[in-house]
Amino acid sequence: MLEFLLRTVWLIPCYPLLGVVLALPWFPGIIRRTGPRPAGYISLLLTGLAFAHSLLALQGLWGQPTRAMLLPWLHVGSLALDFPLEISVVTLSACALVTGLNLAAQVYAITYMEMDWGWARLYALMALFESGMCALVLSDSLFFTYFILEILTLGTYLLVGFWFNQPLVVTGARDAFLTKRIGDLFLMMGVLAIWPLAGTFDFSELAIWAKTAQLDPTLATLLGLALIAGPIGKCAQFPLHLWLDEAMEGPLPSTILRSSVVVATGIWVLVKLYPVLALSPVVLTVMVTIGVISAIGGSLIALAQIDAKRALSFLVTAYMGLAFIAVGTGHGETALLLVLTHAVAMALLVMSLGSIIWNNVTQDLSQFGGLWARRPITGLAFLGGMVGLIALPPGGSFWAILALGDRLWATYPGLVGVLALVNLLATFGLARVFGLIFTGKSQPMTERSPESPWPIILPMVVLLGFVLHLPLLLYSWQLLPSWASINPAVATVLTVSSLIGLSGFWLKPIVIPWQPLHELLANDFYTTKIYRFVIVLPVVLAANLTAFLDRYFVDGLVNMISYVSVRSGQILRYSTNGQTQFYMLTVVVGVAFLMGMMMVL
Amino acid sequence: MLSILIWLPILGALVLCLLPKKLGAAYLRRVALAFGSLTAVWTVWLLTQFSLSTVGMQFTEFVPWIKIIDLNYSLGVDGLSLPLLALNALLTLIALYSTAYSGERPRLYYALILLVSGGMAGAFTAQNLLLFFLFYEVELIPLYLLLVNWGGSKRDYAAMKFIIYTAVSGILLLAAFLGIALLGPVPSFAFDPAVTRGLPPLTQVILLGLLLLGFGIKIPLVPLHTWLPEAYVEASPPVAILLGGVLAKLGAYGLLRFGLELFPATWHLVSPILAGIGAVSAVYGALVAIAQKDIKRMVAYSSVGHMGYFLLAAAAATPVSLLGAVLQMVSHGLILAILFHLIGVVETKVGTRNLDALNGLMNPIRGLPFTSAFLVLGGMASAGIPGLVGFIAEYLVLQGSFAVFPIPTLLCVVCSGLTAVYFVVLLNRTCFGKLDNETAYYPVMQWSERVPALILATLVLFLGIQPGWLTRWSESTTNAIIATVPTTDTTLSLSKLNRLISTR
Repeated sequence: MLEFLLRTVWLIPCYPLLGVVLALPWFPGIIRRTGPRPAGYISLLLTGLAFAHSLLALQGLWGQPTRAMLLPWLHVGSLALDFPLEISVVTLSACALVTGLNLAAQVYAITYMEMDWGWARLYALMALFESGMCALVLSDSLFFTYFILEILTLGTYLLVGFWFNQPLVVTGARDAFLTKRIGDLFLMMGVLAIWPLAGTFDFSELAIWAKTAQLDPTLATLLGLALIAGPIGKCAQFPLHLWLDEAMEGPLPSTILRSSVVVATGIWVLVKLYPVLALSPVVLTVMVTIGVISAIGGSLIALAQIDAKRALSFLVTAYMGLAFIAVGTGHGETALLLVLTHAVAMALLVMSLGSIIWNNVTQDLSQFGGLWARRPITGLAFLGGMVGLIALPPGGSFWAILALGDRLWATYPGLVGVLALVNLLATFGLARVFGLIFTGKSQPMTERSPESPWPIILPMVVLLGFVLHLPLLLYSWQLLPSWASINPAVATVLTVSSLIGLSGFWLKPIVIPWQPLHELLANDFYTTKIYRFVIVLPVVLAANLTAFLDRYFVDGLVNMISYVSVRSGQILRYSTNGQTQFYMLTVVVGVAFLMGMMMVL
Repeated sequence: MLSILIWLPILGALVLCLLPKKLGAAYLRRVALAFGSLTAVWTVWLLTQFSLSTVGMQFTEFVPWIKIIDLNYSLGVDGLSLPLLALNALLTLIALYSTAYSGERPRLYYALILLVSGGMAGAFTAQNLLLFFLFYEVELIPLYLLLVNWGGSKRDYAAMKFIIYTAVSGILLLAAFLGIALLGPVPSFAFDPAVTRGLPPLTQVILLGLLLLGFGIKIPLVPLHTWLPEAYVEASPPVAILLGGVLAKLGAYGLLRFGLELFPATWHLVSPILAGIGAVSAVYGALVAIAQKDIKRMVAYSSVGHMGYFLLAAAAATPVSLLGAVLQMVSHGLILAILFHLIGVVETKVGTRNLDALNGLMNPIRGLPFTSAFLVLGGMASAGIPGLVGFIAEYLVLQGSFAVFPIPTLLCVVCSGLTAVYFVVLLNRTCFGKLDNETAYYPVMQWSERVPALILATLVLFLGIQPGWLTRWSESTTNAIIATVPTTDTTLSLSKLNRLISTR
């Protein structure tokens, strides 16, 4: 039975995809009689199947070597585009994580989206994401990775644009699509360039090729930069980070996925591509630099956000920045560990936040307060997520960040300082959010606030249990560093930075005391405005200029020729005056002219 | 065999003209549809009989006609023309089906559409230069009439511009064909690459130049494109589908058939220029599209951009890129058809095509959710989102051309980004946003409006997921064509790329 499930692993992405297809008739109102709910239940059922399949397959593969599978797709001349599956413990665990979190988010959405008319669309899109991500982690091919990332970009557009009646949502969806697309197109350039060079798209074969490849350093750098641009967009790293912030206009159940696993796809791709990227030291330096900027920038911006969802979303950028640092310094496995601990903890935080937002009808941090007594389960979930996310022993991320710090200590001690700083800021930011929501006095918006119904509470509590048990699981999977190898200095620095950060519980500033700094951070370093001048304006100008030339120059020339012909005909018709002498004269002059021309030539 | 594709629609047009006067438009439509369907069924049968491994023409027919100028009725089909024949049959059927009953002068309208379809089939199958030219010119007349009689307010201007441009294109082609026929050792209009390859190089360049100009107008390429936005925008949606979906492909097909196949060596010589024109067309079309306010005009300009990809691929002339070029013709035809159809629906329901006036059509109760959903699909297919047929065509074009012309290819990738920009603008303004409840009393969507969108969307999706169903028809033909082109050094791309970079 398990063997059969292993052999049919390719079905895992297919279940949710089937859910998408089955949900479709409800969206444009082809089926009206039942209301949109059945679409959601079908999708839930199929997600459950995918989850069960992943878990059982994982159990079947445990302790066995990695398997490979090839699904033929398209052969054109020498170009062979087959879908290679890598079936390993890591990929199946990733599938289980994706489907599990998706199941939780979809159950969550039953209540969260209770009164919404877009059920079919929401569930179809969430299932699309699930399917895409499962296929992404299973695929061992750069081409199909690009293929799926691009589909997910479209998915982001539609999911962020879910409540398309609101103007902010519309611009948010547009920006999400276009920023991600910029990253994707650079990735596509990389894909196009790598085929003539390496002759393969398989990650494993690319790694072998990279060992012996003799590439011009400039070419290697350009190739590497193109390849990391895709993940920069996916992971919302500077300078392509603004979409994640605007994506917060989308429905919250999708945010659970986006903040936890969708952004992580970028890191996954980077880890797979590392051998190629390592061909150029410049690329690695760029990755680390971008990671540092995003980590510090993201955690700083989060401090100045009034919107609760945004205060969390910038921390996602910050943590993905840490993962960028990890990959850039050659610690791909640590990056994946960090991504795992981040994913579950962040999903829990978003769920807890959603539970508050759902029945307090606001996400403005300045309007909350004193909810600890009324919402203990939600509050505990938030604390659990926080412990799981910051570097505070024994939380999951502590071990991941510690492992990273240990490895950087000898080579890049400065980066350990960055880790501590980001951890401090992130802790402070989370503590601030917790403090503003749960402690202090009640406000008008929080006077009445019963605990949420079971579809919200159940997945949240299950996930809370998982987050709290994660260190034990990691221990039993031998993913934690051994006691002997732990660097006490790093552990102390990280723990102390977390403890200092916890002061946010009491300080909990709504605005940063120094106004200009607050403005700078609250407006995300004015990125939107800068983009409007640096990118949007030139494109609009170029478009309008080309359109102007097209209309008045290219087409104008054509119209002028026709005008001249018509006009000259109209003028010349008055020369038909019936005098034979005049016609004769014209003929003679014409013949003389032609003969003259022939003599000259 | 092939003659049926040509003469059955023409017979249909005749029958329509001879039917009694009192019959209503619905009846005429059914008759026209019957002929269209028969042609489509026959095309499907041809597809099943087509041998995939055979190189060269199949189902050939030969009837001597005017021996003195070697004008023979010679037909044949290979992997290059077969997908286009299928596209022609499908889009004709869709154009007939999607026309409302209430149109004016239905008898003439349906007859003309059938005539266009027959003429197009003739041009795609003709294996004689002069015969091709005859069909190429003959389908102009019904198309001109379709444009000038049924269309927008500026249709006179558009139709006049279209006919003048295309007539110039025809004259240039005639000149080129006469040159080919008379400069060879024996005067002959037969399609014979062996003869043209032996012509002196300068003659070849001049003849190819004429062909490029002639077909360049039809494709169209920048700066010969200004008839296109007017014609596409002013045409009624079914005519625009035929015009953009099939007729413009005649130019692309002609360029491959008579340019690349007859003059491979010269083609190779001028290919860097062609690639440059292709890249410029792509970026130009996309930029102008961004600046448009009329969604139909926007889609019309997108067509200029997408044909730029085609030219790039044809210029690169590698096995992958040429197959990509064929795919690009088909995928562009399908996508353009679905977009024009949906825009037509939006226009009839909402009454405007202006981006500033449209809003919130995705609204499930009072908007047009079905149309919006398919508009998203069509727009995204055009923008090259994977899983849809536009992507695989674009990808093969770019992957095939990259090693030969890296810079134009990268420009086309940038153009793909710009395409995303204007489609997002289009979708954001029309489908997203708040529906104005004061004006949102739209007529109910008819099944005759839904079915064409459904069929086209299914094809766009299916061929995007299973592109093998599209590539199989053409692969052996394109490989055979490429074998005649002097080898482009795709294998040495590493050193070439290095050279390219180190010279900067």
